[in-house]
Amino acid sequence: MQEILQYTWGALVSFVVAFTVGITYMGLNRKITARVQNRIGPPWYQNFFDVLKLGSKETSIHHGVMQHMGPAFIMVTAVMSLLIIPILNDNRFFPNLNFHGDLVFLLYIMVFGPLGMALGAGQTGNPNSAIGVTRGLSQMVGFEIPWVMALVALMIQYKTTSIVDLMNLQAETGRWLMFTSPFAFLAAVLAMLGMFRYAPFDIVGAPQELASGPMSENGGKYLFVMMSAGSVFAFAKLTLYVDLFMGGANNLIILVVKTFILYLIPMLYGIVSPRYRTEQAIRYFWGWPSLFGLLAILQAVFL
Amino acid sequence: MNMIYIVFIVLLGGALLTFFANRISGLLRDTFFLLTILATTVLFFTKIHIGDTVSFTLAGLNLKWGLDAFGWYFSLIVLGLGTMAAFYALSYMKGKDRLGYFYFSFLISILSMLGILMSHDLVSFFIFWEVMTWSSYLIVIYSGRNVQKNGINYILLSALGAYAMLTAIVMVYANIHTLSISEMINTYPQFSHVQQVWLPVLFLMAFSVKAAMMPLHVWAPGAYSDAPMAYTSVFSGALSKMGIYGMVIVFVSMISYLPDDTLFKETFAWLGAITAILGTLWAIAQDDARKLLAYSSIAQLGYIITGVAVGTDLAMLSALFLAALHALFKGTLFMAVGAIERQTGTVKFTEVTGLIRKMPWTFIASLLAIIALAGIPPLGGFVGKWMLYESLINSNHYILVIAIFFASTAAFLYCYKFLFGFFLGQEEKEWENVKEAPALMVLPMLILAAGTLVLGTFPGILLKPADAAMQTLGYASTEGHLWSMSILFNEWGDQVLLRPLVYAIAGTFLFFLIILTVKGWKNTRYVSTKDISSSGEVPLEYENLTFSVNFYQPFLRAVGPVMKKRMIYYYREFGSGMEALFDYSRRIYNGNGQTYAIYVMIFLVIILLFKNSIFG
Repeated sequence: MQEILQYTWGALVSFVVAFTVGITYMGLNRKITARVQNRIGPPWYQNFFDVLKLGSKETSIHHGVMQHMGPAFIMVTAVMSLLIIPILNDNRFFPNLNFHGDLVFLLYIMVFGPLGMALGAGQTGNPNSAIGVTRGLSQMVGFEIPWVMALVALMIQYKTTSIVDLMNLQAETGRWLMFTSPFAFLAAVLAMLGMFRYAPFDIVGAPQELASGPMSENGGKYLFVMMSAGSVFAFAKLTLYVDLFMGGANNLIILVVKTFILYLIPMLYGIVSPRYRTEQAIRYFWGWPSLFGLLAILQAVFL
Repeated sequence: MNMIYIVFIVLLGGALLTFFANRISGLLRDTFFLLTILATTVLFFTKIHIGDTVSFTLAGLNLKWGLDAFGWYFSLIVLGLGTMAAFYALSYMKGKDRLGYFYFSFLISILSMLGILMSHDLVSFFIFWEVMTWSSYLIVIYSGRNVQKNGINYILLSALGAYAMLTAIVMVYANIHTLSISEMINTYPQFSHVQQVWLPVLFLMAFSVKAAMMPLHVWAPGAYSDAPMAYTSVFSGALSKMGIYGMVIVFVSMISYLPDDTLFKETFAWLGAITAILGTLWAIAQDDARKLLAYSSIAQLGYIITGVAVGTDLAMLSALFLAALHALFKGTLFMAVGAIERQTGTVKFTEVTGLIRKMPWTFIASLLAIIALAGIPPLGGFVGKWMLYESLINSNHYILVIAIFFASTAAFLYCYKFLFGFFLGQEEKEWENVKEAPALMVLPMLILAAGTLVLGTFPGILLKPADAAMQTLGYASTEGHLWSMSILFNEWGDQVLLRPLVYAIAGTFLFFLIILTVKGWKNTRYVSTKDISSSGEVPLEYENLTFSVNFYQPFLRAVGPVMKKRMIYYYREFGSGMEALFDYSRRIYNGNGQTYAIYVMIFLVIILLFKNSIFG
């Protein structure tokens, strides 16, 4: 009983942290994008208002059961990933399931959300949703390749599939994996560009073309859940990268700094990029990123 | 009389009775059909025990039948799926003609599969194998469509496999003068090296045809989609597993004795992976749901072949687990397609849409099966896939892991296409009056789909017989160090404790579902799928908003170069090459009497010239 309470408490705290940080990052993204484009832009806390507004709205129509379940699916994915990704090196403050973190399990959990959400989007009958979904799933197949290659390289090199073991290893040797396995890091970071779906990989929800794609028929509370899930998921992914390649973090401030530096990569890459078509995006991921992934595996096997 | 005889007599007699009862009344035929399959299942699982054997002499050959744990595991698949498909068939086939013929072939193919699993000598194995091919061929051509194309493809490749197997059997007999399978396995290490290589190659050729491994898969898409769906679920779920059954035996008992066994194993593991990748890509490109599932079956069997070929404890366990699971979910999916075909008359994704509110139970069954197919936790598919990944990483097959992972991620695309194409999307006027399929069709689907759900939570149910089967093959017991009674309620390899994860999944899901629905459900009203707003415009009734043509066009463009050539193209090229060669021989036999006279002359001249050296 004590244990369950502790788990629940840990889950709650990590959720709140992830939510806050994630939403702040999205606000900062808007601000920075605006400054780069020589606009003033909204204040960094604008997204909190947006989310609160959406959460307080009442919905009056629905398209069926699957539409109700879609946002819940994506939320489950976000929370599940958060629960098995260790947040800090020291587990005391976030007593989650994260000390059982397993990479293979995580890989599967992370692709579950898009599929669940795709089902929800499918039932609305809006053609834009379905088009967005097909693009999103195709693009996912694209970036999964370098991403899996990077992870497999890590698994080979350090002979473990556990995230916690990798973190402990970095803590012991004092060397970050981004330096000891640079190719894996490169492949993973390039795959991250696709994961975040900023430009040039934003054709999934292309606002001018598809009316925000998969979420086009969702508003109010549905959009609220989707947005919060998106920000929690973003934080979870950034934390995973920090855990795997940047030695984890000993306290929240270091974690925020490290994740923000990582977050700048897809953001800044996106601001100056045009948009790829889906097949171009897929080919992109199967080009240089996969080559780096292959090099990472070669390095892991032979060095 | 031994129970093994009785089971075969019940099946054969039941098949004949069903066939002849067709002339008297439909009800009698259905009763006989159902009684036969039920009686067989009950007798098999209550009266026949592992270790039972019978032997008798026929035409001077010692034949031996018996049941071991490995065969029992596969007969679980055959009879479990067979019974469900039989119930389904009663409703699905209602009103079609030549039912006696169909039910007869159905029962005979079940009989032949049981026979294969129980054969302990090569002669009965070969005979049952041929009976299996013929009975399934009869059902493939039952519909009368594309017999020239798909039927011929199937029977030709099956014959190729059968000749390969026959050659291997003759080789064995010439060597050791006995046909017992266990004798063959025991004396295999003493064979000459050439034979040691050729024997598994020939056997594997026969088994790969049935398991639809590339490049011998070309029969599968046509044959799977032309047979009535009631049988295709057995065809893809159980009959193709006979190939896996044989492969496992060959890999464990022959190839592991070869000095260059790694080459064999790597080749087959890679063939399996390539089958998985290409099968998946072709499945994505299909518009016909039956074809999609057929290619998906090819791809799924690719994973299983990879697991078998890698052959470590965990890989073999995952292969056996996936084999049973594939029967469950692919059986369900083919049945769902059959239900849709029966209710709407078409199986094309571009024609049917928006059935979710009309056929909710079919949707639920398909959804569960699709989640299991995609290998998403917490359903059974994930357990099998996970074991496969772990085994590949542990046995240093790194690139193979990525290939398999690519195939199973790309599988999401056709999974979504299946669900979206049939059930989601725009609800069209044309399909307004579609009703749910009859209960007799829905129940088997739901039972099979529930099976995947149960196995995700309690995989121990299936891992236990799988473990017993592997011990028969000579593996050490995997119980304890690889699995405990249930993964979810025990630790797995000290790495992940799944129980809290499952609770967390369920908890979070319910929490957010409640936020969204309990408040929302009563206050909101359902609106049709035409009632959507797009940039403030509401589409009119006649506007077509269905998105189903060129569904994955961007993806297919990206992978286009891989899919340019099809294997069937090379077979056709080979065929026309052979034809050209034979045509060439017509220049010799050109039908002209004068030419033949010259041939006779030349022949005589040669004989006269070389008279001394020939007869001297």
